[in-house]
Amino acid sequence: MTANKEDTNVRPSLLIVEDLQVEFDTYGGTVQAVRGVNFSVDQGQTLAIVGESGCGKSVTVQSIMGLIPAPPGRIIAGSARLRGHEILGRKTVGGGEIRGAEIGMIFQDPMTSLNPTMKIGDQIAEPLKVHRGYSARNASLEAVRLLELSRIPEASKRARQYPFEFSGGMLQRAMIAMALSCKPSILIADEPTTALDVTIQAQILDLMLELQKETGMAIILITHDLGVVARMADEVAVMYAGKIVEYGSANDIFYRSAHPYTVGLKEAMPTNDPARQHELKPISGSPPDLFAPPAGCGYCSRCPYAMQICSESPPQNNGLHDHHSASCWLHHPRSGIKPDTLFFGDAL
Amino acid sequence: MNEISASSFEPLSGQQQSQVIARPSLSYWQDAWNRLQTNKRALVSLYIVIGLLLFTLVGPLIWPVDPAMQDIDQISQPPGADRTAIIVPDYEPWFGTPGRPDSGLQLAEKATSQAVRLQWEILDGASGHRVYRNLFPIGPELSYGIPIAEFLNNDTLYFEDRLDLQPGRFYYVVVALDGRGLITDRYQSIPVDIERVTTLVEASERGLIENADSMEIGDEVALALHPLGTDYLGRDLLARLMAGARVSLFIGIGAPFLFVLFGVVYGSFAGFMGGRVDQFMMRFADFVVALPFLLFMILFKIAFGIGPGESGVFPMMVAMVVLLWPATARLVRGQILQIREQGFISAAQLLGASTPYLIMRHMIPNTLGVVLVTVTFAIPSAIFTEAFLSFIGMGVAPPTPSWGSMSNEGIKTMLTTPHELFFPALFISATVLAFNLLGDGLRDALDARMRSAE
Amino acid sequence: MLLYILKRVFQGFITVWFIATATFFAMHNVPGDPLTNDRAMTETTRANLEAKYGLDEPVSTQYLIFLRNLARGDFGISFVQENREVNDIIREHFPVSAILGVLSVVFAATGGVLFGALTALYRNRLPDYLIMFLVILGISVPSFVVAALSQLSLVSLNTLLGFTVLPVAGWGTVMHMLMPALVLGLSTMAYLTRLMRSSMLEVTSSDYVRTAKSKGVPPTRIFTRHQLRNAILPVVTVLGPAIAAITTGGFVVELVFAIPGLGRYFVEAVQQLDYTVIMGTTVFYGAFLVFMVILVDVVYGFVDPRVSLDA
Repeated sequence: MTANKEDTNVRPSLLIVEDLQVEFDTYGGTVQAVRGVNFSVDQGQTLAIVGESGCGKSVTVQSIMGLIPAPPGRIIAGSARLRGHEILGRKTVGGGEIRGAEIGMIFQDPMTSLNPTMKIGDQIAEPLKVHRGYSARNASLEAVRLLELSRIPEASKRARQYPFEFSGGMLQRAMIAMALSCKPSILIADEPTTALDVTIQAQILDLMLELQKETGMAIILITHDLGVVARMADEVAVMYAGKIVEYGSANDIFYRSAHPYTVGLKEAMPTNDPARQHELKPISGSPPDLFAPPAGCGYCSRCPYAMQICSESPPQNNGLHDHHSASCWLHHPRSGIKPDTLFFGDAL
Repeated sequence: MNEISASSFEPLSGQQQSQVIARPSLSYWQDAWNRLQTNKRALVSLYIVIGLLLFTLVGPLIWPVDPAMQDIDQISQPPGADRTAIIVPDYEPWFGTPGRPDSGLQLAEKATSQAVRLQWEILDGASGHRVYRNLFPIGPELSYGIPIAEFLNNDTLYFEDRLDLQPGRFYYVVVALDGRGLITDRYQSIPVDIERVTTLVEASERGLIENADSMEIGDEVALALHPLGTDYLGRDLLARLMAGARVSLFIGIGAPFLFVLFGVVYGSFAGFMGGRVDQFMMRFADFVVALPFLLFMILFKIAFGIGPGESGVFPMMVAMVVLLWPATARLVRGQILQIREQGFISAAQLLGASTPYLIMRHMIPNTLGVVLVTVTFAIPSAIFTEAFLSFIGMGVAPPTPSWGSMSNEGIKTMLTTPHELFFPALFISATVLAFNLLGDGLRDALDARMRSAE
Repeated sequence: MLLYILKRVFQGFITVWFIATATFFAMHNVPGDPLTNDRAMTETTRANLEAKYGLDEPVSTQYLIFLRNLARGDFGISFVQENREVNDIIREHFPVSAILGVLSVVFAATGGVLFGALTALYRNRLPDYLIMFLVILGISVPSFVVAALSQLSLVSLNTLLGFTVLPVAGWGTVMHMLMPALVLGLSTMAYLTRLMRSSMLEVTSSDYVRTAKSKGVPPTRIFTRHQLRNAILPVVTVLGPAIAAITTGGFVVELVFAIPGLGRYFVEAVQQLDYTVIMGTTVFYGAFLVFMVILVDVVYGFVDPRVSLDA
């Protein structure tokens, strides 16, 4: 996390997000969707943001992209710096457009995320025309090349088709081609495989990894699927109720989980490793009402380790080692729990 | 950060941990009603609709004036109260007042609704005169108005107008005629303000005064009250609006209710039967949809025919039911087909629910919302249809009042007495608007999926 | 594609046959008979006339004759204006109604799309409130009132300015057409505006518009390339019924503005119980509408790439 940034980073991270807070005005009152989120991404790295529905992970990346509809949305605090330049609430950075040029984005449901009445090729060519000043002819040639790059067979024929003529997996490939058309330094993938078949999921993820190797871009991957995280992520941020509760390398998160919520997620996930077979355990209860966030830890009411203090004050962020940190009272020196029993990795 | 005591790190007791869902659970209709209440426009519309129903049903009890009764004293009177007439002597013929006036066209005596008496001098070079009456001053196009008298010599220089006189301002014009009896461009014009008068005999005949002996010439008598004025036959507009509301709302609410009912039965039967029966029934519905609606309304109206003394309300209802059911039938059939595929129907069947139970407990409640919205939207269009047909003379036959036929009559006197068109048109518009907004509100409240983006 | 159109046209003919049959039997149900009118007529004249119009035949024969004539495009001869063919009447008066109708549809569609898009763009701001207020008026005020009021305001305008800006009634020049077309298209325009507005709002909050934003496409381009095209689709689907509404709405406007169109003629024919004219006009209008709906569906197939025109 940012707290550890100074002592470990040789060069500054590509994107640094600090204390991001986002609210939404709704019928029922104001929802505090994101309540102070910090993270950073390096070039060529993949950061996975994990959490259940409604934990604020999509809102986090959408605020970075300036896609939060305002009103009702509102970024009330925080900063996001791309190569040291503030991008929150801005359209350009250093003379270049952020959306589409510096940061590309793909979405959860490729079926609805493409314009149904516009040819695939035209949709891919659009950012090139807008940001790079391509002529119509060159843009459509480039679109075909990008489709080929995304492993779409018969690309020149496919470019002239409409979204309804594509399968879901093909559409997501086209989305990736579109997001990468202007060679962005960051690709944000908001649950890119949730709407797809399992076999297609793997192909899409592989494609993203390959393209990452080729271009050296950073990927911010939003998902609720720990399997996807294990496959893709270098770093992982676990989000719960608008906050990042645990942050660390993929190994830290999977083998040295430091937050009860991370443990809960893992216990709810099936594994195909016979040594680690266990009974699937759902996390009981539901996330707190973000209209009126609880005074203490958001996970308190569902946490099997909950203590008196958890319901009273929000836990601090405790750095564990290297990048690994967790916001949990169990890590407080006075909790009386020995640090080495805290890493739940072996408990499973 | 709060101070941290040792007890802070005690495990929480189970009770504190348990989660309570605090929100009360609401039934579908309770939820819909709650949502409707937050919709200001829909709520106001609901009150307007209730107000209209009260106006129609309770109104005639409060204002028990016969809508067919003519008040000859007050024809085409604009809205207003406290109208009076001055009692004058009985009418006596008049042949000019001796002693010529000094100049031009003028009134021989005060203008009253009994008579307007004009006198004038020979216009320059005139060998005759023609008298005009107009409701407007002479414009640049020299529009004199209606010719009411013509004299082809200069002997008669007076004229008495007794034709259909109403209180208000008229413009009289005398135009010079040349030797051949053609009009010239020499004219004289005066504005005349007419005062309403009545005679003792007339007043007691119409029941305006109880005791003729107690009244004298020059006294004022109060005329019958018409809060919204009268129409071109002197009928009370408020009473007619109430009677018209009865007809318009009867058709406007009754017909949609009937054709939606028929559509529901037809559609759910087709949807339930499925297969060939469904195909055939829906194909027939397609044909009926293709019939040009208004033309066939008119055709049916002629075909059913209406005898003398009948109002034509019933044929109009029948025609609407015959022509308008397919839309509802299609909708309900679609709903039934959709519901049949849903999991909860299979679940109920697995639990051993019988078909009647399925229909009563699942199918009908789940289509009721859609049907209610359909009825609400069908009402304004039915009211419009009635008004439209009555307007082109194909609807409710006079003397039965309906808002449409009243508008039709009102439009003829639109220029002079706009209130005769204004009030029925206002009622049509308000009703149509209220039902439309109520329908929007109901649609939003009853079904979140049908929620419009507005 | 061609097969689809052929299939639709075939279905259209069956529908027209149904309309014709319904018309025939509805008219046969009319009490009295067409030869009952003011003119006294002798038994012989009556018999001759009955023979001339085939009224002495049984209903089934009359129906067959009617259908055969219909197939040849022959609607018969007017009862009131004897020796005048219904075809001539339609040929003379329909173009007037058609011009009026086309103008109104163009006006309603462009106005509806334009205003609908505007209200959605300026949602909950002044232009939105202003246009929606007018739309509510357009939906709730009956067309004859609008017609009468517009005529009234034309009179006042012409008087005020001292010359004829637009003629108050009649037919002949483009000037004569403007006001009636406007009035006739008004309620349809209001309806389309509402439809366009909600469709536009739906599109605005759609995933693909979000995608376009994430690509950095400027707002004007998003509006023209992504929102407008998709938002218009629902409007196109209701153009068929809209044309029907405008065609029949023409009755009132033609009456009020004294336009010699087929609608006015139809109303007159109904009042005079001119059987053949009523039947001919109804079938003609019915066929016209049926094929307009087919045309709109085919056009929709071209506008929306998702709809394939396969049989």
